[in-house]
Amino acid sequence: MNKGKKDDYAFVFFKEGTPPAEKRKGIFFFSLLSLIVLAQACYWLFANSVEPIILGMPFGLFTVVFLIALEFFVLLVMYTMEPKEENQTGEVR
Amino acid sequence: MNWIITMAVIVAYLVVVFCIGSFAGRGRDSSVKEYITANSSLGFVVLYFLMGGAIFSAFAYLGGPGWAYSKGAASFFIMGYCALGLVPWWIWGPRAARAGRKFNYVTQAQLFAGRFQSKALSAIVALISILAFIQYITLQMKGSAYVFEIASGGRIPFWAGAAIAYIVVVGYVFFGGVRAVAWTNVFQGIFMVVTAWVLGLYFAYSLYGGPANMFTLIAEKMPTHLLVGPGSKMGYVEYATAVLVSVLGFSMWPHLFMKAYTAESERTLKRTIVWYPTFAIFLVPVLFIGFAGIMQVDPEVLGAPDRILPWMFANMNFGPVAIGLVLAAALAAAMSTQDTITHAAGSIFAQDLVQALKKEPMSEAAATLWIRSSVLGFGLVSYLVAVFGGQTLVSLLLGSYGSIVQLLPLTVATFFWPRATKPGAICGVITGVTFNYLIVLKLIPKFAGIHPGLQGLLLNILVLVVVSYLTKPMDKDYVRQYVEL
Repeated sequence: MNKGKKDDYAFVFFKEGTPPAEKRKGIFFFSLLSLIVLAQACYWLFANSVEPIILGMPFGLFTVVFLIALEFFVLLVMYTMEPKEENQTGEVR
Repeated sequence: MNWIITMAVIVAYLVVVFCIGSFAGRGRDSSVKEYITANSSLGFVVLYFLMGGAIFSAFAYLGGPGWAYSKGAASFFIMGYCALGLVPWWIWGPRAARAGRKFNYVTQAQLFAGRFQSKALSAIVALISILAFIQYITLQMKGSAYVFEIASGGRIPFWAGAAIAYIVVVGYVFFGGVRAVAWTNVFQGIFMVVTAWVLGLYFAYSLYGGPANMFTLIAEKMPTHLLVGPGSKMGYVEYATAVLVSVLGFSMWPHLFMKAYTAESERTLKRTIVWYPTFAIFLVPVLFIGFAGIMQVDPEVLGAPDRILPWMFANMNFGPVAIGLVLAAALAAAMSTQDTITHAAGSIFAQDLVQALKKEPMSEAAATLWIRSSVLGFGLVSYLVAVFGGQTLVSLLLGSYGSIVQLLPLTVATFFWPRATKPGAICGVITGVTFNYLIVLKLIPKFAGIHPGLQGLLLNILVLVVVSYLTKPMDKDYVRQYVEL
């Protein structure tokens, strides 16, 4: 990180030597999951109703469950995109 | 006579849990690392249930249906935060684990104390954690006391009910450490999930002919019950900020945070995070139980809404064995949280408070003995608070949430901001926690329905940044070790 060399005390979001593709991936998933958190917190903006009842759940509850399923899917994609062998600093057990 | 059979089922359950817990830690060495982190050897399935058992608490299992019954749509919040709570751990978990391997940490406070070079900070974090733990565990004890009260038809008083389950918990935590906590949670987790699904769906179908019909009837009878906002039990801002605080704060809970040190690898940690939202899905039928109760019993008859789950089973003409199994599952929910918390509280008290304040380091055997005695001591204190304290259930937990979320800026600063200094960290945390409790204790008014924890958090960040810039930066090479993890 060029900025890190100028100011050793600046915020470090990615450690030095992180490839740009990794950074983009990190920012992308961070934003995506933040959006899901916001949607979950403000679900009442777009789903504050009982009808239609889907899968036996009122629409509000269904939306909450749907967002959880979506979150699970995003996490799963993130996990599969992780490098298989991690280059950890310490011993690997 | 029926209540004796019900009680026999519950006692049988307690015996099984105690045996699993006692055998789990057998034949292991008695080092601190083994007792607290199982020498970083836990695999995915065990870690998944270890973390899951912590949310499948009395709050979710008894409080969840209670909320669905009394507050309606506000109970959806529980699912939202259970599902999202562990996501931020994707950022902290692996970094904490690497720091643990590098500097030999076994608790969260050790990480902060290491980064900020401050034993005072270690003691402050330990105190905040233990205060929040006591509130949390009081909640669980009330849960198990309800279970015994209903199982015995009121023959077992509150103080005895709270004691019976907790003695079992303290017993296996004392002997088995984190392994006992983990393996009992696997058993309890499966037991709870199966019971919840069978019974939640059973109630919806047998009483209403299906969940869809049930919700239609509820909506007809109480039009705002399944909504949030004006006219319902929870306002918009209140709902949104409660979710946000819970999501930000969940992974800050010391008993969850320190599990980063128990995982065998980073992939195991991340796999646990990926699968964690499934626990929230498991909660759906638990809420059904509460919704199903709305047309069955009046709030005045019920007393506290948290009694809805045990009440439903006790009044549905089930056989005594079935009632026993269900009540045992409710007990499992309370116990699987109690054990994690008791274990963490004992570890934190001994490691972060006693150890930090002592001048010379202790031997391994002495340190483990300290942890075990702290487990007993914490158990006793929180039991006394539960029996003689007496406050409302869920709002108390939210009060403790507000103080735990104050550890978030410390965590962010540790891993991302080298400029943060020791005075900044200490002042920030103290400001946030104090402000939160001033609101919770109603000494200053709540602003615009925003969660007190979130208000404290904003002040906390402000103070951390300002004080850090006003004080001398810490040694560059030292602090950069933490951001380069």
